[in-house]
Amino acid sequence: MFPRIAISLFLFGICANASTRPQYGGTARVETQRDLWQGPDSIARRLTMDGLTAIDANGDVKPALAAQWSSQSGDRHWEFRLRPNVRFHDGTPLTAELAAASLTADCQAACPWTTVRAVGPAVVFTTDEPQPDLPEQLARAQFLISRATAAGAPDGTGPFAATPTGNDPSTAIFAANDDYWNGRPFLDAVEVRSRRSIRDQWLDLSVGAADLVEVPSGLLRTAQQQHLKTIASSPVDLIALQISPTGPLADEKLRQAIALGVDRAALFNVIFQKQGEVAASLLPSYQTGYAFLFPAERNIERAAELRGGANPQITLASEDSGAELQLTAERIAINLREAGFRVQVVSSAAASHADVVLRRLHLESPGPRAALTEFLENSASTVAVETSDPENLYRAERDVLAQSTLVPLLYLPRSYAVGERVRDLRLAPDGNPILPNVSLAFSLADVPAQTSGASQ
Amino acid sequence: MSLRQKLLLMFSATVAVAVAAVGWTVSIRVRRVFDQLDQQQTQLFARQFQREFQHRADDTAAALDRLASSDRLTRMAFDLGHGGEPALYLNEAAALAQEYRLPYLEILGGDGNIISSAQWPARFGYLDPAFNAAGHPPFLKEEAMPDGSTQTGLFAVRAVRPVEPETAASLYVVGGTKLDRDLLADLPVPAGSRVYLYRNSAPAFDPQSLSGIDDDSVDASKYRLLLDAARKTGNNASGIVYVTSRREDSVNATAIPLKGEDGAVLAVLLLANSRRGMVEVQRHIRAIAFGVAGIGILFAIGASLWIAARVSRPIEQLAAAAGEVALGRWDTHVPVHGNDEVGALARSFNRMTSQLLEQRGRLVQSERVAAWRELARRLAHELKNPLFPLQLTVENMVRARQLSPADFDEVFVEGAATLQSEIANLKTIIGRFSDFSKMPKPQPELLDARDLVLRVLNLYKPAVQQHLPPITLQHEISPSPLMVSADPELLHRAISNLVLNAIDAMPNGGDLRAAATGKPGGAIEISVSDTGGGLAPEECERLFTPYYTTKEYGTGLGLAIVQSIVADHRGKVSVESRPGAGATFIIELPAFDERAGEVEP
Repeated sequence: MFPRIAISLFLFGICANASTRPQYGGTARVETQRDLWQGPDSIARRLTMDGLTAIDANGDVKPALAAQWSSQSGDRHWEFRLRPNVRFHDGTPLTAELAAASLTADCQAACPWTTVRAVGPAVVFTTDEPQPDLPEQLARAQFLISRATAAGAPDGTGPFAATPTGNDPSTAIFAANDDYWNGRPFLDAVEVRSRRSIRDQWLDLSVGAADLVEVPSGLLRTAQQQHLKTIASSPVDLIALQISPTGPLADEKLRQAIALGVDRAALFNVIFQKQGEVAASLLPSYQTGYAFLFPAERNIERAAELRGGANPQITLASEDSGAELQLTAERIAINLREAGFRVQVVSSAAASHADVVLRRLHLESPGPRAALTEFLENSASTVAVETSDPENLYRAERDVLAQSTLVPLLYLPRSYAVGERVRDLRLAPDGNPILPNVSLAFSLADVPAQTSGASQ
Repeated sequence: MSLRQKLLLMFSATVAVAVAAVGWTVSIRVRRVFDQLDQQQTQLFARQFQREFQHRADDTAAALDRLASSDRLTRMAFDLGHGGEPALYLNEAAALAQEYRLPYLEILGGDGNIISSAQWPARFGYLDPAFNAAGHPPFLKEEAMPDGSTQTGLFAVRAVRPVEPETAASLYVVGGTKLDRDLLADLPVPAGSRVYLYRNSAPAFDPQSLSGIDDDSVDASKYRLLLDAARKTGNNASGIVYVTSRREDSVNATAIPLKGEDGAVLAVLLLANSRRGMVEVQRHIRAIAFGVAGIGILFAIGASLWIAARVSRPIEQLAAAAGEVALGRWDTHVPVHGNDEVGALARSFNRMTSQLLEQRGRLVQSERVAAWRELARRLAHELKNPLFPLQLTVENMVRARQLSPADFDEVFVEGAATLQSEIANLKTIIGRFSDFSKMPKPQPELLDARDLVLRVLNLYKPAVQQHLPPITLQHEISPSPLMVSADPELLHRAISNLVLNAIDAMPNGGDLRAAATGKPGGAIEISVSDTGGGLAPEECERLFTPYYTTKEYGTGLGLAIVQSIVADHRGKVSVESRPGAGATFIIELPAFDERAGEVEP
């Protein structure tokens, strides 16, 4: 009797331990509405490339491809010394020259540096103005280090390597990089299905065909009602209106009238189901603490007053073709029609010509100065952010918002639904899932299949 | 136009008019029949459309009834009634609309504000006026869409059954189906007909608002009048619409207005029945009519030729013979065909010409006898006057043989002188008759008529001046030359005769007036007037007859000679007179034509 009990306890201990400790192996199936490679923030770039620096889960800058860095001349001269023995997936060693060339290619304009060059094993940046947060900015997805392979495909040094695609171009498999400088990921591979609608993603998750799917903010509560396992970041996506200072809205008062005419509360409460926060400032309140100083209430009387007798015909488009932002654009159009504007909602394909564009701006940098600089680069503003002190940041932000060319509406989190077997999924401060740390839990029934999957 | 041509024209016109009348009548009748068929078809279609419309309305109402009583909406109503957040149901309408196959669906709160909208999700929080129509029968409604456009649909509003029966409804559903080509596609459209739907979304006519089942290329402007009439009056409007310039492409169109709950026209159903069949039948009838008319006209030509042979040819011969008779050939005869009216006419004509010929012979004979009698009477009268003195002189000379030789010689000489004088008088009388019978041929020369008139007046001026009681002589002579081609002696004689007659006509004195003037049209006029006793109209008629005279001792040849001379000069002589008012004799002669240059009268 005792041996039986002892064996049972031993097996139970093994199983219990297996369910809590990360295990190697398995393929995580990730689905997204977005394109695989499109944009600097694409999932493929995140999986296959590294930056010189990175932001850890706590929002601190940590070494990545650069093992250490130092600055001189009042943060105008930066030297990032590369980590040794790092190789691209095709075996090419990472050199300072390749890193400098990648950074030069990544940033054609409005770069946080003036020059970048390779000096021995180091990449040296020089700037005209002090750049105290350059290491933080270099952690942005835009500055991931890559090179083109002989076949012309982008290649990096990241935890996963792209494998040849099959017949379905929307599906790609990224295999674990066994020689990753930060240690091999727990997963053997990540299978990414791109351009997948939310409905299909949820369906796949419900039938066990997906492990990680996206959840739009407006559906987060619905997902929770459906007892999906969800995870959400802090608010990292700024929903804002970018108003063209030329054309029918060249008059600043008309742009201010538009800013006052939008009912942010209705967007927040209904469309986005009270996720994130109402925003009238560029930076979220958790970064600055002064966001409440910018009024977010709708004031349609004041909007009518500012509009005067003008009744221009304007076009409104959403930069994103997703249903959530399309609905938001239509709601804003209703608000603006109430405020006396003649608004025509046009398709996202015509966004480049629209007078008002509804944009989703991603907040990558955890530091307020870097984040504000990032926004100002995106909005082509000429306002400069000199220091990181709150007063200076507030002044810069106020000056930008006074132009009413960028009207913040809401800050939204990024949220996901995960399958039952996904373990240790955490989100980066910019809201993206940190897949190299993810592992999969296996049931006994999964073992043969997982063994087979791991061997691929 | 000849009788034959008239007959041909009359027959052809009769046939053509008859055929045209029949063709027109049949065509009108066909059109009426087709119009009646169109009306019946339109009425039938309108009833079918109403049935289909009602069927759709019933379907919509039934779907909304099922939806309103569904557990899902009941739970939603319960949740919202117990503090639930409406925002959580933002996408509920879209899901339910898909499930219940309703193109339009909105979920309203108890206050009528939209909680969820399938067709315009962004409209949450706004009041939907349709909320007031809860429980009403299905109705047409114009639905606003996110892109600013509107769509017409068949709507119904239902309250969601509350969980607690005693509480008021806290949730309403407004749903509907589209009034579009799908609805039209379900209608049994007759062959040759087309159905269109005009969405009356704007006050002004919009051609883009007219659509058909499978015909988007419809030219809406062709139907504008009908559509506008139906839109403005709210009543059916019908008419013929020419889709192209060809008649066979025309349609009998009927616009049926579809009204909303407030009576406003939201859409117009347009039924267009092709008139191609009717036009083709009418063309067929017209072609037959033309054919019959052509055959009829050919028949008319044949008939007219035949009738002409029987009727018009004898009449033409009669007309030609009458023309011959008019020209003086009185012995003309026409052939007689048959015993009908035309034959009788021909016989009568021949008898008439024979009688005319006989009568003319008798007339000539009688005139000849009368002339001889008149001549004999004149001769007797003229000769009797000198013969009587001759007889007395001879008897006196016979008695004078008993006288002394001296007295006898004296009587003899005196008697011989008287005899010679009377014999000379007899010779003169005979000479005058002889002159008339031997009127000389004119020897024309170019002369001025004014000179001739003045010469005559000068000749008789002394006689006139010596006349007692006195006669005044006046003349009116044209200042311009009056050239005439004439024999001066003969013309002088004619004018002299007229002057002598005028003097003779005024035994108690008076005014003698002579004139020579030019007349328009290339003629000259010589007139001689007196203020004598004048002439009666019957005297004027016979005045120029030979041997007719009003004078006691006239021969009746003077004016006859004047007429003869004037006629020989291609002129004419006339008289104007009334009893007691004198007389005017007028000689009219052709003026000399310089271009012709001829002198021969």
